[in-house]
Amino acid sequence: MNLKKLLYIDRRIIYLVVAIGALIPIIRPIGLPVEPTDPVIGLFDKLESLSPGDAVIISYDYGPSSEPELNPMSSAILRHCFQREIKVLIMAVFPLGGVNMAIREVERIASEFEDLEYGVDYVNLGYKDGGQAAMKALAVSIRDVFPADVDGNDTSTMPILMEVRNYDDVEVVISLATGIIGEWWADLVNAQFGVPVAVGCTAVSAPKYYAFLRSGQMIAVLGGLKGASEYEELLKRNFDWAREVYSDPAEMKLAATTGMDVQAIVHVIIIVFIIFGNIMYFATGKEKGR
Amino acid sequence: MRRTIPLVLTFMVGMYPIFAFFVPHASISGVNQWLDRALMIVAAFALPLGVVNLVGMNLSKIKQKRAGWPYAIVLLAGLVVMTYFGVIGVITRQHAGFHPTFQMLFDNMVSPLQATMFSLLAFYVASAAYRAFRARNVEATILLVAAIIVMLGRIPFGDMLTGGRMTPLSEWIMNRPNAAAQRGIIIGAALGAASMSIRVILGIERTYLGKSRD
Amino acid sequence: MQPLGLSIGVWVNALLTLCILSFLYKDNPFFRFAESLFAGMSLGYYIGIVTVQTLQPNLIQPLGETFFGNHNYLLLIPMALGIMLYFRYIPRISWLSRIALAVYIGYYVGVLMMQKIHGQVIPQTRDTIMPVTTGGIDALWNLVVIIGVFSVLVYFYFSVEHKGVVGKVSRVGIWFLMISFGASFGYTIMARISLLMGRFSFLVNNWIRPMFGI
Repeated sequence: MNLKKLLYIDRRIIYLVVAIGALIPIIRPIGLPVEPTDPVIGLFDKLESLSPGDAVIISYDYGPSSEPELNPMSSAILRHCFQREIKVLIMAVFPLGGVNMAIREVERIASEFEDLEYGVDYVNLGYKDGGQAAMKALAVSIRDVFPADVDGNDTSTMPILMEVRNYDDVEVVISLATGIIGEWWADLVNAQFGVPVAVGCTAVSAPKYYAFLRSGQMIAVLGGLKGASEYEELLKRNFDWAREVYSDPAEMKLAATTGMDVQAIVHVIIIVFIIFGNIMYFATGKEKGR
Repeated sequence: MRRTIPLVLTFMVGMYPIFAFFVPHASISGVNQWLDRALMIVAAFALPLGVVNLVGMNLSKIKQKRAGWPYAIVLLAGLVVMTYFGVIGVITRQHAGFHPTFQMLFDNMVSPLQATMFSLLAFYVASAAYRAFRARNVEATILLVAAIIVMLGRIPFGDMLTGGRMTPLSEWIMNRPNAAAQRGIIIGAALGAASMSIRVILGIERTYLGKSRD
Repeated sequence: MQPLGLSIGVWVNALLTLCILSFLYKDNPFFRFAESLFAGMSLGYYIGIVTVQTLQPNLIQPLGETFFGNHNYLLLIPMALGIMLYFRYIPRISWLSRIALAVYIGYYVGVLMMQKIHGQVIPQTRDTIMPVTTGGIDALWNLVVIIGVFSVLVYFYFSVEHKGVVGKVSRVGIWFLMISFGASFGYTIMARISLLMGRFSFLVNNWIRPMFGI
């Protein structure tokens, strides 16, 4: 067979192989193991070190383009916080979809906890324009930045915002971020106001954030779906409730751990592509310009 | 005059956050805090700034029946419908938060459109991996080897094949050489951005004000 | 009657997903339709969130409720600046938009300056100053990071010609960058596959399976 033909194979055949590789584990999950790494354990340990009643901010700084990676992360972190009775302030500074991601996620996870009281245990503050301007203003007064919550309810009467007035009352900011916003929490909020920052980011940003992790500007980095699956694994290893939640078939479809099956298969396909492409390249005599 | 006032304003407003950072006195930080809240509102006006341009362009496309004009109608229809359900609650004062239809349109239209648009990239990276990822020289080989190690480190097969060595190796790459290179890029780019900031504040860089001679 | 059992939302969601995916075969009217719809709806979405989430609670409501109380009248300043941004579309008074632009750009440039220097250059440099004489493997890895950061910075320093020692050091910088780009490629693949998985998972689990009751 002509090797050159293989080298210049129609791109649509490559697309088809990738599509089949992605579909098989969705139809029939494999259940491959996941091993937690230090950058993810950092956030788990931080939340474990908090006492009931301590407050955290979770900022939904991503849109639908990162939803499959960051939704499972958000679900796992919210469950962990609610189980530990940590007060959660939810907000968004990413314009294209952050607030709607937050609405969907918070409604879904909060509904799992019967005793949870809105405005007391958690609040969805919604989206605010201005990016860095809003982040800086939160250092003075959260209520001034968010006079109303996501549904337009007055926040001045909410008990949670009487206790948590500004960054001084926040133990950690968790930004679930796409693009540059995760970085702003570190180089602006952590740098100027000293609040610990953990970032759950789309995998594309993760390599850069390792530099912030090393310098201590981020206490944890959860990189993409793998980071989310590691967090799920940490919860399952430590808590009965998590093993129960993540064994529910409906939840399994949404869980990052299931998604990692797809990742594993397609990663193998792509690695094979790279190796095979290189073998062809050398076998056909390193054609110039290819 | 029409250029001088903006340049003076840029200098004053640009210097203020820097000045307030170094002089955290209540009288100074008070103005700075007001500035933060004021800019949230200015930024809110700035976000949809491109809409005027886009509407104008698409209307003229439809009027002149230029190639692809029916798609301009689709674009404007999408804009009008989403805007209507976005602002109607505020105008009629019936919904303090989002109109339910706004959230529904987001969930079932905006969200899948954006997500699928980006998911196309999965196919393109696979194709690029096959066609362009070649060990042409030392640099390309280093890139290729690092990529394969990191990829294997992210999936369980890597550890299965190497007796659990791939995850630590991948984490080492991320934590040491990768973090070092990223740090070099961060410091270099940050110095560049900071010097550009100084140029803007001092009025040396003025292109953002447009070309007019006034 | 399973297909009718699914909500219209799921059908719209699935069909729009397929419209975008059809681009993989080749450019076609379905894709162009979905692309235009996406552009229009996204802009409409911006207008909606800006109005409901920022302008309503932070501007309209305080001005309407207590104009003089709490110095709310001062909000007229950012409001005026925000509106002035749109004057750029009215040729006769377009120069006025520069005033608003000057405040907007000035503020963010000032904030960015502090972010870059105080939030990036200083902490990243500080963390690179690490012990290398303590012995043990950690000292060696610290050295790797130091060499990496330094050589990458030298590579990005274009004011001297990359010859001799500088050239050799910058070559090492390129190797570090290649490792990092390889790692980035590996991570990017993971991100893109996640998106694809999200869409496929929706099509299989929320659309096809319920449609056929499997």
